[in-house]
Amino acid sequence: MLTIMDIDIRDLIDEEDDDNQEEMTAQKVLQIVERAWLNEKFSPEILPHQTDYVDCLLEQIKGMEGNLAKLSKTDPKVDLHKLELERIKFVITSYLRTRLKKIESFCVRVLEEEATRSEEDAYLSPAELKFAKEFALNADNHFDTILRHMPHLYNKLDRNKKIIEPNLNSFVFLKCNKHIDSVIIKNTLEGQEEEIVLEDGSQHLMPYSSIAEFVKKGTVQLI
Amino acid sequence: MYCDKVIELLKELERSREDTIPPYNNDGINHVLSEMKTLDAEIIDLLRTQKDNLPLDAIRLRRAAIERNKRCLLTYIWTRIQRLKEMRWEIGAILPSDVRQNLSQSEIEWFNNYCKTLVSYMKTIGPDTGLNLTQDTKPPKSLYTEVRSLVDAGKLELESGEVLILRKNSQYMLSRSQAEPLIRQGVLEQVRQ
Amino acid sequence: MMHPAEIEYMAENEIIQIVPTFNHASHVHLICGSYGPFRAGLPLNVPIWVALNLRQKKTCRILAPDWMAVDKLQERLEEEKASKFFTQLPTNFYLEITQMLLTVASEDIPQGNDIKTAVKDLWDLRIAKLRSSVDLFVKEGRVQASLNHLTPMEINSVRPIFPDTLDALMTLHEHINSSDDREDSSQSSVATPSSSTSFSLSL
Repeated sequence: MLTIMDIDIRDLIDEEDDDNQEEMTAQKVLQIVERAWLNEKFSPEILPHQTDYVDCLLEQIKGMEGNLAKLSKTDPKVDLHKLELERIKFVITSYLRTRLKKIESFCVRVLEEEATRSEEDAYLSPAELKFAKEFALNADNHFDTILRHMPHLYNKLDRNKKIIEPNLNSFVFLKCNKHIDSVIIKNTLEGQEEEIVLEDGSQHLMPYSSIAEFVKKGTVQLI
Repeated sequence: MYCDKVIELLKELERSREDTIPPYNNDGINHVLSEMKTLDAEIIDLLRTQKDNLPLDAIRLRRAAIERNKRCLLTYIWTRIQRLKEMRWEIGAILPSDVRQNLSQSEIEWFNNYCKTLVSYMKTIGPDTGLNLTQDTKPPKSLYTEVRSLVDAGKLELESGEVLILRKNSQYMLSRSQAEPLIRQGVLEQVRQ
Repeated sequence: MMHPAEIEYMAENEIIQIVPTFNHASHVHLICGSYGPFRAGLPLNVPIWVALNLRQKKTCRILAPDWMAVDKLQERLEEEKASKFFTQLPTNFYLEITQMLLTVASEDIPQGNDIKTAVKDLWDLRIAKLRSSVDLFVKEGRVQASLNHLTPMEINSVRPIFPDTLDALMTLHEHINSSDDREDSSQSSVATPSSSTSFSLSL
């Protein structure tokens, strides 16, 4: 018989949020990963990784699969568990794929920015970082096969010309999880700035750059 | 007109379907490289022979043409690589022979390295032997999906241990995860409700 | 970019009531929550994806949610017509849930066709409002808008058009306003992840 898999994951509890300390359940982890999936889908740049939560969910899945093998095939629960595992796997793979595509598209830029961050503040997981470096090297080597046949003055590709950057001003739809007193929007059409208040629960459309920090903190959800 | 050839290369690429890669146009590329060399030589010559009265416009024009050729050539090879990358996700690590024969040696090398990098990354995901990110690309609709075999595909071992013999035009209920790669490879097709 | 199937995925997380035709004494402890016990003839709450799976195997009947009734939907429609803004709906996934339930459990939903029509009318009305808001937004060159009570599927319907148009406008304005230096070799190219970058390498 399957039992509730309570996870007491001390390192996943938000230490800053002492008055709001919740026991970290598998359900909560799933919610966090689903939200991370949506944020990653809609943000133009790559966001801080949620590998801890993803790994936790994958552990859950592994445990669940192990238990399923012991159940009778005619048990009505089996199909439901299997279906849920497929659903969760979908969200995880979609999340990681989205990140990978961003890493590939903006590789040079991503590596540059990551180099300025400490390990705790890293946006890429160690495995993603390795992927990014290998991808960049592979691209450089490939370009080189043709560059080296060009006249001497032109046979290198400088950094500036390799860089593709995400458009941080692109518009995003968002939902507010907490009241935010002040958000500054750069109104570049008139060169002015607009300051607005975001109410808890409200939804908006605005340039990503105005709320990027809030997305990373979790006070704003992209939708 | 300078850069005509390189534009031709790009147009050739643009005309082809995005899910295909036309043959690597080695001649075209060499032609462009040759043009770049010639233009460079001309600039050097101008700098040498007319250094007291540099024809700036002539130099600028040639320099711009070289840069344009360079940019377009790199775009050409980069676009091909993007398409090749897409194929790894759509088809898998083994490219059909009609695709392989259109690739340059360097492209094949790039592809092999990309596959290595990708697999190496996917292996690290999760507590076990990794997670295949090229699967589960759509949310599951129902646990089992009805499929029809398009060819006589022989034996298929199911997750339950049961063995099916896939015969052309016969229908089967398979788990989504088993059906998906076979559908992609064209062995099975989903039966539309 | 969001595929409608992905929005459906989210809609399937919503809870509805089913009446099972089987008995299963214990709960099913899913990662997303625990549900049960299943007693034949007695209603219980489950996520929609569970309901659909059981219904496809004919082991339950689905109970239409409260809001899925012709009179209630007509009321909503009137309120929506009377309001300049978007009214708050009882669920964020009214269109998807209606479609899913009517596909898999049409016998369980009374007046299915009328409901289908009413939901479509509501959708059309809200989308029409959205389109004119979008027009106005772009014309006035605004950079922020309040979109309370818009549902994910409605947002998704304008997602490709809306931001990209504005992005392009803003980019153009930025270029016009900033110094126009063609010789500047530090110009890097900007791309949104959703755009297919065939010729994205800008030198």
